[in-house]
Amino acid sequence: MNQEIYIFVKRNKTMLFSAWLVALCGILFSCDSFVDTDQPNSQLTSSAVFESKATAEAAMTDIYAQIRENGIITGKLSGIGNLMGNYSDELIAYETGSYSSEPFYNNSILASNALISSMWNSAYNQIYAANAVINGVDNSIALAVADKSQLKGEALFVRALNHFYLVNIFGDVPYVATTDYKANSVATRMTTIEVYNKVIADLKVAIDLLPQDYVSANRVRPNKATAQALLARVYLYTGAWSEASNMASAVLNNESLYVWDENLDNIFLKESTTTIWQLAPAYEGHNTEEGMVFIFSSGPPPTVALTNELMSSFTAGDLRKSHWTLAVTDGTDTWYHAFKYKEKTDTGATTEYSIIFRLAEQYLIRAEARAQQGDLIGAKEDLNKIRHTAGLTDTSADNASDIVDAIIKERRLEFFTEHGQRFFDLKRTGKLDAVIGNKLGWNSSDSLWPLPQSELQVNPYLKPQNPGY
Amino acid sequence: MQSPHQQNQINGTVTDGTNPLTGVTISIKGKRNSTVSSDFNGQYILSATATDTLLVSFIGFKTAIVPISGRKIVNVQLQEDITSLQEVRVNAGYYTVKESERTGSIAKISSKDIEKQPVTNILAAMQGRMAGVSITQETGVPGGGFNINIRGVNSLRTDGNAPLYIIDGVPYSSDPISYRQTSTTIPGESNPLNSINPSDIENLEILKDADATAIYGSRGANGVVLITTKKGKAGVTSFTINTSHATGTVTRMLDMMNTQQYLKMRRQAFANDGITTYPSNAYDVNGRWDQNRYTDWQKELTGGTADILSMQGTVSGGSEQTRFLLSGNYRTESTVFPGDFLYKKGGAHLSLDHKSESNKFRISFSGGYTAQKNDLPWTDLTLLSRNLAPNAPALYDAQGNLNWENSTWQNPLSNLEGKNRSETYDLVASTLMTFQLAKGIEFKSSFGFTDLSSDASRTAPSTMYNPAYNYGSEYSSIFKNTLGRQSWIVEPQLNWHSAFGRSEIDVLLGSTFQNQQTKTRIEEASGFTSNSLIYDLTSASYLSVESDEMLVYKYQAFYGRFNYTFSNKYILNLTGRRDGSSRFGPGKQFANFGAIGAAWLFYREKWIENNVSFLSFGKLRGSYGTTGNDQIGDYQFLDTYSSSGYEYQGVHGLQPLRLYNPNFGWETNKKLEAAFELGFLKDRVMLTTAWYQNRSSNQLVGLPLPGTTGFTTIQSNLDATVQNNGLEITLRTINIQKPNFNWTTSFNLSVAKNKLLSFPGLEGSPYKNDYVIGQPITIRKLFHSTGINPQTGIYEFADINGDGQISYADDRETVRNFSPKYFGGLHNQFTYKGWQLDFLFQFVKQLNFNFASTQGYAGTFRNQPAEIVNSWTQPGDNAQYQIYTSGVNQEAMQASEYYAESDAAVSDASYIRLKNISLSYDLPQEWLKIMHCKISLQAQNIFTITSYKGADPEFREAGFLPPLRIVSAGFQFTF
Repeated sequence: MNQEIYIFVKRNKTMLFSAWLVALCGILFSCDSFVDTDQPNSQLTSSAVFESKATAEAAMTDIYAQIRENGIITGKLSGIGNLMGNYSDELIAYETGSYSSEPFYNNSILASNALISSMWNSAYNQIYAANAVINGVDNSIALAVADKSQLKGEALFVRALNHFYLVNIFGDVPYVATTDYKANSVATRMTTIEVYNKVIADLKVAIDLLPQDYVSANRVRPNKATAQALLARVYLYTGAWSEASNMASAVLNNESLYVWDENLDNIFLKESTTTIWQLAPAYEGHNTEEGMVFIFSSGPPPTVALTNELMSSFTAGDLRKSHWTLAVTDGTDTWYHAFKYKEKTDTGATTEYSIIFRLAEQYLIRAEARAQQGDLIGAKEDLNKIRHTAGLTDTSADNASDIVDAIIKERRLEFFTEHGQRFFDLKRTGKLDAVIGNKLGWNSSDSLWPLPQSELQVNPYLKPQNPGY
Repeated sequence: MQSPHQQNQINGTVTDGTNPLTGVTISIKGKRNSTVSSDFNGQYILSATATDTLLVSFIGFKTAIVPISGRKIVNVQLQEDITSLQEVRVNAGYYTVKESERTGSIAKISSKDIEKQPVTNILAAMQGRMAGVSITQETGVPGGGFNINIRGVNSLRTDGNAPLYIIDGVPYSSDPISYRQTSTTIPGESNPLNSINPSDIENLEILKDADATAIYGSRGANGVVLITTKKGKAGVTSFTINTSHATGTVTRMLDMMNTQQYLKMRRQAFANDGITTYPSNAYDVNGRWDQNRYTDWQKELTGGTADILSMQGTVSGGSEQTRFLLSGNYRTESTVFPGDFLYKKGGAHLSLDHKSESNKFRISFSGGYTAQKNDLPWTDLTLLSRNLAPNAPALYDAQGNLNWENSTWQNPLSNLEGKNRSETYDLVASTLMTFQLAKGIEFKSSFGFTDLSSDASRTAPSTMYNPAYNYGSEYSSIFKNTLGRQSWIVEPQLNWHSAFGRSEIDVLLGSTFQNQQTKTRIEEASGFTSNSLIYDLTSASYLSVESDEMLVYKYQAFYGRFNYTFSNKYILNLTGRRDGSSRFGPGKQFANFGAIGAAWLFYREKWIENNVSFLSFGKLRGSYGTTGNDQIGDYQFLDTYSSSGYEYQGVHGLQPLRLYNPNFGWETNKKLEAAFELGFLKDRVMLTTAWYQNRSSNQLVGLPLPGTTGFTTIQSNLDATVQNNGLEITLRTINIQKPNFNWTTSFNLSVAKNKLLSFPGLEGSPYKNDYVIGQPITIRKLFHSTGINPQTGIYEFADINGDGQISYADDRETVRNFSPKYFGGLHNQFTYKGWQLDFLFQFVKQLNFNFASTQGYAGTFRNQPAEIVNSWTQPGDNAQYQIYTSGVNQEAMQASEYYAESDAAVSDASYIRLKNISLSYDLPQEWLKIMHCKISLQAQNIFTITSYKGADPEFREAGFLPPLRIVSAGFQFTF
């Protein structure tokens, strides 16, 4: 055997030499740098994003674009303007199938509903992006102080806004204030009160950080009053009447920015002076998703129409019926659609933006808060402001409870198809069963939507599911 | 008298006793450069002296030694040599090895089997023919994909189980090229092998065990598919033309309710819900639609016949030094949907080989170019065809226009207005240069290049919408996806072979440098001035670039092989590889892989030779080693923002791209194998039994995350181990071997088991509801159906945790496994004179979800399988299916969803399918003097024996078009 090895080495000198050559080549080329790649040209590191005002703002305003396209309050069919409209008594669904408005209209949604999981996921995705902005701004060296305040204020506002809707739709939900996925992946449900406390805390900081004036044209980025408007609504929903009244006043008193307009046809135009915050369209010339979704020109309607219950609740002479709804008929049947936004398609220049907060709500918040505190005169004054604009006379309600009822009724006619206001009003005043209990699929437990089934499956700590699902 | 040294022209014919043999090598013993080969008639011509001796050799036949003995015409009849199959060299990627001496597990399919099948994708031709390789077709739509698993599912990541594809030495990326918005008709990813014309393939090998795959290191974990394209043969230039015409139809339809059954269900549903006035949108029952109309929508929408035309021409020839092959092919396939849709594929393939006179320098080039154009409707109509109410209105009105029945339905044919188009151009070229440096030492290097470009679009023109809505072309929109991918690879290698004493050594050292660059751009545009300008994005009033990125993937490796054979009986094979991949973060890029394999050819032992005479072959082999997996996508370790594709105030938004984890690393896969190969009765019976066990650990997964994290997934390593083990048996017998009649049978059987060995922390992880330790990773956790509550008529389920309610998170504890228990194929071949008949049965033992998983709640505005008529109507009913609801009985709807995820929705989907029949006839030479003609009839998916409650049992993608039954007739001319 030894002999064989000896012969082997002797015979194969060339081979051994070549092997040595290949090994040498290998070592020369083997520098690890061959497999190092540059950062891809379409990506920026997270830290770099927050060292320039332009990119930091692009990170922030993208969240508004996400809200516009996929958020809970998107004007598309998947937003609560449509879904909650169907779920309560504003809209009737003509489309069918489980990925449509139909199960919402039937009040028979299931935990597996894809619209619900995408709503949940996109809300938390926007919350993640907001938290990333907060982190990025906090760690930024180059950003100016004023820009940092503006951006952080906006991010806190967005975080609060999303949690506000989540807690109203789903009940107890996790409040996510970090980008740490390990903590967030085992998030547990926080009580509604705790969530509200955190929303309030975020909004207070946001109000401090945000400037009085808008930083951009057309009121498309939140200012101080936007955060105040949301906080006023939060106080209203939580029954903190004096805080609600004060916060609404803080907005209403800002008369240099917000001017009441008696012409109903102006309210939903992009220049409206009663708008507090609106979303810029996807591109110049595009109008609102709401207009696209709700307006139809022939019947039967392709997707949804206003319910007869809603149409018959307008009293004679209510200008909102003639200005904000429209009848479509095929000769035999008549259907109505929301006509707050007039443009269904693109126009040369955009005329309408999707409005999220507007002044009328602040009047009605203050009216209700005043009534609850016994300030009946102040309450009626605010309520009548809205009624007059709608061409109606003063309210006939005379005691606190009647005034509150009148306000809720007024809110229905004022805010129909606007981000589920109707459903949330019925819910917070305990009137769901009484008002929509006659719908066939309705159960008392339907006041909360189910947590997405997929979410419960991947996070064992999120239990329990809401009752009834 | 002639001088004995005078050169004479010798000619003759080589046959196998019946038919002429083409491409047979004829040389003169002891004379260099004397080799010629026989032409398509089996004829040859060469110059020799009267005393020379001819050596006539051909693969699969015994070499004949024929003295010329002064003759001018020397006809040779070759004897088929079964044993010699053991001498065939098998491609193992970086090296080849004699079939008898291989230490690894390699399965092979050759052009002989491929060309009998009328398929577009080579993977379809492999179904049922290879042990351990499970292939399912994902759609019957042309250009669609296949799912391939070699020895089971190793990775918890669903997109991490693709094998490595290598075409003539060039790795061919299986990274997806499609984008969900522009690939709406084809489920999953389109398979990269669609770019390879099956008839250009000479051999396809699948490397399965560690011994064979470890040399591919990080990319070998899921097996390696090696494709070798056809090469030219020296000799007379031959031309071959193949042409065929085939038709395709759906194999099985689902038995749906007719109008009477359907309307009865609907009326009952409303009655059950307490609704007496039918809602205004219930057009099917409220009187808006004709209640007597009936349309079989499956027949109407998917019952067409697909036409498949194919044509191929090949020229091949050359001298002993230089050989060439050039082929071109063209194929068109239409769909079973209504409307004119066509899949077109054309390509060219060139192979050149040259060797120097001294044989010391060899170069070979192989290049293939394929163009595919696919024109499909924007959606697969299959699901729609099963959902439409049977009394839905007519498709066309009296004027021949699409009928919208006063806006009460979405005419299904409106879907044909939207188009899903794609064009893919693909070039794969490789060059291999070999220098013989000294005796036994070779330096070689391969250079490969691939260039793929793809353009896909999906349009939604305004003509898709009901004209009553007055939508003009300002509503038309398009999604467009443009992709370009180039890669190059250089692989210098050194081979050394030496024999001394009774020892033989083979050593291979090599390295790889690979770079792949992918550019993608995704655009969305809407608002066109005219629908005919929809493909011109400059005419769009709105154009958004959703993403525009360039991804770079770099890969580097060093590998080696040491093979030692002692006394022709004992073989040891060591392979190893060190790999670096840019897909991992700094410090995690490199990893080592290696394997040891050994074989013992015991039939060569004297004591066997002397005592066990019926044993003609016997080998015991085994291997153990590690391989890896880096199929995770690029740049996943970076914390970055990228453009979201949305604008706000004219500014393009930036969004966080992902949750990032800089610390993930290689997934490792340990493979163990032992096999026993036996040949009996002069190898007329060959039996291989292989047992394997693969364990995958440090699982690299896209960890599913709850939405509260802001994302749905993060790349991360899991401390989980998955084991695949199984038994593979292949048996080949030559039942009858007569001069004019042959009958051979091949059988393969794979029994596979998958098991999650360990998963620390499973209970608290997102995988809690997906996996169970000790069970396969292909399971689903399901509710246990306990029947119907006779009082309420609603499905009931076992309340596992006893909390009084049924929940997805806690009550799905019934486990069903969806990977096949065993599968295989039985292939028989008969040849009689010029006739050849082949048929292949494929069988699979498995479970699958049945129609209950896709049909939704019975009673709503959509059709149901006929079986659902047997449903509960009143208390006391003992029905199989629950109470109907029109869509308001939430409890029943919820139960229906639970039912769809219960053991009742799973049924046996085992099947035996006559996968392929091929009958061909070689026209006798006398009939056509100038050419050789072969006629063939082929069919695929002919019939299926199954008890499956659904459409096609092979098929896993519910709601898409199942694979088609294809019947084809073809001609081949060679001259």
